[in-house]
Amino acid sequence: MKDEILREIGKFIIPFIQMFGIYVIFNGHLSPGGGFSGGTVLGVSLILHRLTEEPHRASTGISEKAVIGFMCFSLMLYGILKGYSFISGGGELGLLEIPLGTPGRILSGGMLLPLNIAVGVIVCFTIYTFYTLFDKGEI
Amino acid sequence: MERLITNYYETASIILFGIGFMTLLIHNNLIKKIIGMNIMDTSIFLFFIAKGYISGKEAPIIKGAYKGVEGYINPVPTALMLTGIVVAVSVTAFALALTIKVYDKYGTIELNEILEKGGD
Amino acid sequence: MKKILSVTLTIVFIGILLFALSECPEFGNISNPANNYVSHRYIDQCVKDTGAINIITGIILDYRAFDTFGESIVLFAAAISVIVVLNKSREQV
Repeated sequence: MKDEILREIGKFIIPFIQMFGIYVIFNGHLSPGGGFSGGTVLGVSLILHRLTEEPHRASTGISEKAVIGFMCFSLMLYGILKGYSFISGGGELGLLEIPLGTPGRILSGGMLLPLNIAVGVIVCFTIYTFYTLFDKGEI
Repeated sequence: MERLITNYYETASIILFGIGFMTLLIHNNLIKKIIGMNIMDTSIFLFFIAKGYISGKEAPIIKGAYKGVEGYINPVPTALMLTGIVVAVSVTAFALALTIKVYDKYGTIELNEILEKGGD
Repeated sequence: MKKILSVTLTIVFIGILLFALSECPEFGNISNPANNYVSHRYIDQCVKDTGAINIITGIILDYRAFDTFGESIVLFAAAISVIVVLNKSREQV
């Protein structure tokens, strides 16, 4: 099995896979999909990039601290957004809130879009971490 | 007894649970035991999601006009099982990581050889 | 000997479960006990309360967002424990 063919095809097709993953995350509240499946597609594209590159080069340019930092930051962002929604009573107390908008557009539904993105980021980096730790012993 | 043939989704789910349970008990290899645990998890998801179907209604996504309450299936079991699928993936990953550490220490994955080599 | 015992135990266990399944309600019936006022309330008020067209996304990210938070914590905890277990920079753990 030649490595050069796989590497060239991988360089061509990985941006399309990532675009599809971002599309599934962003249209989570309008059609089937959402944070979990979109995050899995993004994570699989990172695994493909790690599989088909040259063995002596470094990883995908994301260091270990950056991966763990992204996961912690998006988990805390989810907690802060949901905690604020608890304290303001779900819109009953009249504090500042993101408006609902018209159903059917992408920028609608209040907190749905930021929460979807946070869940997608967590799932993507978790799936990537599971692969690289089992294969190479370090991220 | 003809209820078992009418509800064939739930019957298949319980038979899959039995197959997974027997795979967990019979084989000696640790990886096959983890596969059996994963089969048991998947059968429980099939059982729960089959409980939410109503014949003649459609999927719970509102496209076009709103059909009222009587036009969609029950969305609650599907929404609750999304969490379960993610937990099953996490447990499988952690079990595989522990298998790697067992292989590093004992040099084998077969359970009877591990018990003979000094496990307790 | 151990294999015969485990096969017998599994067949007895699955037999009891299948006997309990023959008393379950019918598949796809509208008057099942699982289709009660909870799902009616969720389907009725979903677009007014959350603004999501996908009812299931409205349930897991608005009505029951705390369960999704707990599940994200489980994913994160599994990833962190796999990092700690498979660390190669220590000699013996």
